[in-house]
Amino acid sequence: MRNFQTRGLVLLTFVVFGVISLAALSLAQGGNAAAPAVGGGGRGRAAVPTGPTPRTPDGKPDLSGLWNGGGSGGNIASALPRGETLPLLPSAAKLLASRQAKDDPESNCLPAGVPRGAPYPWRWVTAPGYVYFLFEGNIHSYRQIFTDGRKHPADPDPTWYGHSIGSWDGDTFVIDTVGYNDKFWFDFVGTPHTEQLHTIERFTRTNLGTLVNEVTIDDPGAFSKPFKVTFTARLAPKGDELMEYICQENNPDVPHLVGPAVAP
Amino acid sequence: MRLKLIAPLMAIVLIAVALPVFAHHSFSAQYDANKPITLKGVVTRFEWTNPHARIFIDVTDENGKVTSWNLELGSPNILARAGWTRKALAVGDKVAVEGALAKDGSKMANARTVTLASGKTVFAGSSGGDTPTAAPPPAR
Repeated sequence: MRNFQTRGLVLLTFVVFGVISLAALSLAQGGNAAAPAVGGGGRGRAAVPTGPTPRTPDGKPDLSGLWNGGGSGGNIASALPRGETLPLLPSAAKLLASRQAKDDPESNCLPAGVPRGAPYPWRWVTAPGYVYFLFEGNIHSYRQIFTDGRKHPADPDPTWYGHSIGSWDGDTFVIDTVGYNDKFWFDFVGTPHTEQLHTIERFTRTNLGTLVNEVTIDDPGAFSKPFKVTFTARLAPKGDELMEYICQENNPDVPHLVGPAVAP
Repeated sequence: MRLKLIAPLMAIVLIAVALPVFAHHSFSAQYDANKPITLKGVVTRFEWTNPHARIFIDVTDENGKVTSWNLELGSPNILARAGWTRKALAVGDKVAVEGALAKDGSKMANARTVTLASGKTVFAGSSGGDTPTAAPPPAR
């Protein structure tokens, strides 16, 4: 009996440790799970809905919904495949090392850019010719993705979200974006990029509650080669909606941020 | 044997509940988790605003000197989704706030828990990690 209890405790310890490790990993990957987004320890929140991938009448996966996570947060390098490191060029490594916490655009209520996430939900909206991401955090802004077959302009003005075109590759929705400015940071530690940034986001809704975002980041101005990072968004609990979040309303923190840019 | 196993299990559980909530700025760039503080005072203002709700309290020391503190909570959205309301606190309420001091020496702190006049301790949506036993404040 005593032996049985001991074994039970050992098993319980392993199970609890496993669950916690996964949660910690998700946090390290920057809002990769619903947990960090709900806040307050997630009290009173329903679990992520489960079920098969929903589809639209044309048979394609329906990616619309209210999502939590799915982007970078603390340090984008934590979303690399195991064992890989960021292929930073010396100039980018130097810039990364020099960045100060007070200068993080996110802390200054400026957009998070791509693929950085925020600790608040965002809604995927599909409309004829367009896909929109409506962000609650990330300063209450939006992304516009053209799905009418147009190409990128030859020389787009650099912007926070760039020029995005979307198309299907089987059951995966692919967003190709160029024309970024170099102002946003990929994460809290300040991983940089240049205006040469080109991202390819591959969104796959693997089931009702899960949206996997595999991002190829190609920026010959900051990295010696393209690399891939993967994030997972979780469907918000039923009944949750976007709420107003005007970051500029009352942000006295910036003068009190001291020292180098660091993960939360 | 069983006690030996229970101790690390409890430690793991405590670590789990201390995981931080992401804010729009880095907790550790503004606050020092190694400088915990408990402030007892009277609410002079409760700002239900983004990106952070804030409690302003006046703390009177043993010599009668009053110091005003600016205490950061999670955002109203994070707090509301977890049970807070904008009416949870009112001017004149006596509270005790436990949290972490600002690194730059200003009279600011990141609140981890708020103990209400009723004696009930509630969580504060801290980006530095919440306290496991704390619940949202009761409706009023």
